[in-house]
Amino acid sequence: MRKRLVTRKIMAVATAAAMAASALTACGSSGTQATEAAKTEAAKTEAATQAAAAETPKAEEKTSDEAVTIKFQYWADNTDYSALMQDIIKKFNSENGKGITVVGEEQPWDGGAYAENLFNAKMGGSDVDVSTWKLTSTPLFVNNDLLLDLTPYVDAMDTKSDIDDNIYSVMKEAGGDSSKMYVMPWNIQVLYVYYRPSIFEKAGITEVPKTYEEFLEDIKKCTLDTDGDGKTDVYGFGMRGAKGGQEPWGSFVHGEGGSFEDLTSDASVAGMQDFIDLYTNGYVPPTATSDGFNEIIANFQSGLTAMTIHHTGSSGKMEEIFGDDVSAFPFPAGKGQWTSMGDTETVIFSSCEHPDAAFEWVKYLATGEGQKMWCEGTGNVPVSKTVGAGDYFQNNRFMKASLDGESYAGILPIRDTTTEWISDLWPNTVAQALTGDITAADAMQILQDGLWK
Amino acid sequence: MTKKRSIWPFLLVAPATLIIMCVVFVPVINAIMMSFQNYDLRRPKDIAFIGLNNYFNAFMDKQFINAVFRTILWVIFGVGFQFFFGFVLALILNSHFRGRGLVRAVSMVPWVTPGVLIGLMWRWIYDGNAGVLNDVLMRLHIINDKIAFLSQKPTAFPSVIVTIVWQGIPFFALMLLAALQGVSTDMYEAAEIDGASRLQRLFYITIPSIKNTIFVTGLLRIIWVANSVDVIFNMTEGGPAYSTQTLSVYIYNKANALNLGYASAMAICLALLLLVVVVPYLRMNFKEEK
Repeated sequence: MRKRLVTRKIMAVATAAAMAASALTACGSSGTQATEAAKTEAAKTEAATQAAAAETPKAEEKTSDEAVTIKFQYWADNTDYSALMQDIIKKFNSENGKGITVVGEEQPWDGGAYAENLFNAKMGGSDVDVSTWKLTSTPLFVNNDLLLDLTPYVDAMDTKSDIDDNIYSVMKEAGGDSSKMYVMPWNIQVLYVYYRPSIFEKAGITEVPKTYEEFLEDIKKCTLDTDGDGKTDVYGFGMRGAKGGQEPWGSFVHGEGGSFEDLTSDASVAGMQDFIDLYTNGYVPPTATSDGFNEIIANFQSGLTAMTIHHTGSSGKMEEIFGDDVSAFPFPAGKGQWTSMGDTETVIFSSCEHPDAAFEWVKYLATGEGQKMWCEGTGNVPVSKTVGAGDYFQNNRFMKASLDGESYAGILPIRDTTTEWISDLWPNTVAQALTGDITAADAMQILQDGLWK
Repeated sequence: MTKKRSIWPFLLVAPATLIIMCVVFVPVINAIMMSFQNYDLRRPKDIAFIGLNNYFNAFMDKQFINAVFRTILWVIFGVGFQFFFGFVLALILNSHFRGRGLVRAVSMVPWVTPGVLIGLMWRWIYDGNAGVLNDVLMRLHIINDKIAFLSQKPTAFPSVIVTIVWQGIPFFALMLLAALQGVSTDMYEAAEIDGASRLQRLFYITIPSIKNTIFVTGLLRIIWVANSVDVIFNMTEGGPAYSTQTLSVYIYNKANALNLGYASAMAICLALLLLVVVVPYLRMNFKEEK
């Protein structure tokens, strides 16, 4: 009887240990797959890179003879964009004349988890050939030899000059090697300030701010108690304190003359202090510490905020709701001027067996009919000069604000620390600063250390 | 004949053992090995054996220490309230009233709803600008100004605890209800004849009779709640200012950032922490059973 009890005890403890240990299995399994896959992918990459170099001159010959299928993975922000992408794919498949069939597979953006999921999939041996892209993911994939160097393909491209050289430079910088380009430009989104002309009028503002200082003043003026009950009904600015908020925040840092390279400089700290002051003085909604994309857009669309920062991706819906009572201006200049250039590109994976055919597809998206269809359909800023010169882009007030901001638009430094910095360190550190746990200087020191470690 | 009988049980458990070895023990061993390495996939060329450095770093990491204490509070309040309200619900559902079947079915809804959906749903319920909770509280004149539940530190953590409590009540209710239905009515009748009050019947008959179920259910929930990520992650992602970051959420964030070595070391710490709770818990249970 005693022996049976002891056996039961041992079994129970072992079962409990197994259950507790299940917390470890996720890390363990992904690591195993990753290690094995990394070795395989590394071997494949070397072979694929050599093959690509050898095959480039024969590109035309090869693609015209063989019927090939390219597996293309993309995300779409809504169902309209999803249908649009399928239309572009259909058009390319029927008109390319080279026997290339693109098979589009949509995956959710999932607040940026798209890139992590794609990374896990590629490390696990996924057969995706081409994917839509964000520059911030580039170091991770390049460090694991997952991307194909597109330099020889771009150099041989007949429409190369249709894209500005500085855009190519940004693409090259992202890979950490200025002689190699792993990323093909597709479209950009320049952040600008949305505002409600009717609220500006109520606040006694006659024209949009021309300087950073005027912008801060206008935020204060637009914070209104419209019904006289002593409570704020309209906040001057919709601040994004959750993930993704680093982009508008960067404009404040640069507005005071700061920079991402030295976040601890007096100017950068002053920019952070401006950001904190807007929160603590009640010029932004009290939910700002956790407001993400959905919240800032919902707050602006419900009339809770008078201004917010986003790009043309949301302009269609804004116009639908407000008609003429919504407009935009580029983020104004202070001691410095910067706005975020949201980027979307395409990449070809080194595991792709038909890189020439895959490049035909990404070229179609960058400078062909695919570029025109996508940018006109989504309201994104085209990278193709020819497409950008069209009437649609020249006569749209939101597009104009984007194009006006293009000259000083930039991106966050692309480092292997950037993804974690954006998704975890920035929102939590800024929330600590907004709620008074740490000073602006302390917050900037933490952000500097996290980004540049 | 004797020899055959001694081998037969081992053959029967062999397939299950093999599967458990493959899906649990192999990844666990791999995680243990990674915890001794600088296993960061962002810098794959730097992966090397670093001994106990990940563990030393964890114990020097303020976020880790805070996350451990937050996890303890998360489990104590989360499981504690789940048990209390689950027990009350089980007692109600065990009594006879009209529409009991419907109430039993409806009360299971939180348990069968996916954690991701629960997180998103409660995130909008708590929303500081358009959330229904603020609206209800203001209409009832309980509050004058909207509360940014998930955006400020004093309210964010209690808010996510309320959500996990809401999710877990039906599980306790279901398990305890099944146990309550096995308690003999003879004992209650005898106690009633002896003049025992409702409270005395609860403490001297009901609770001792379902004690084993309470132990097992409590144990399962302690482990599940401590390991849960979905609800917190979908509501706050551990913020604002790390105020809702439990150890499992911190591990998830680090693993998501591809720092698998450090995440593995912290996951092992979590497993050990759970064992520290679970083993004495089981010993206590067996001691009383003996």
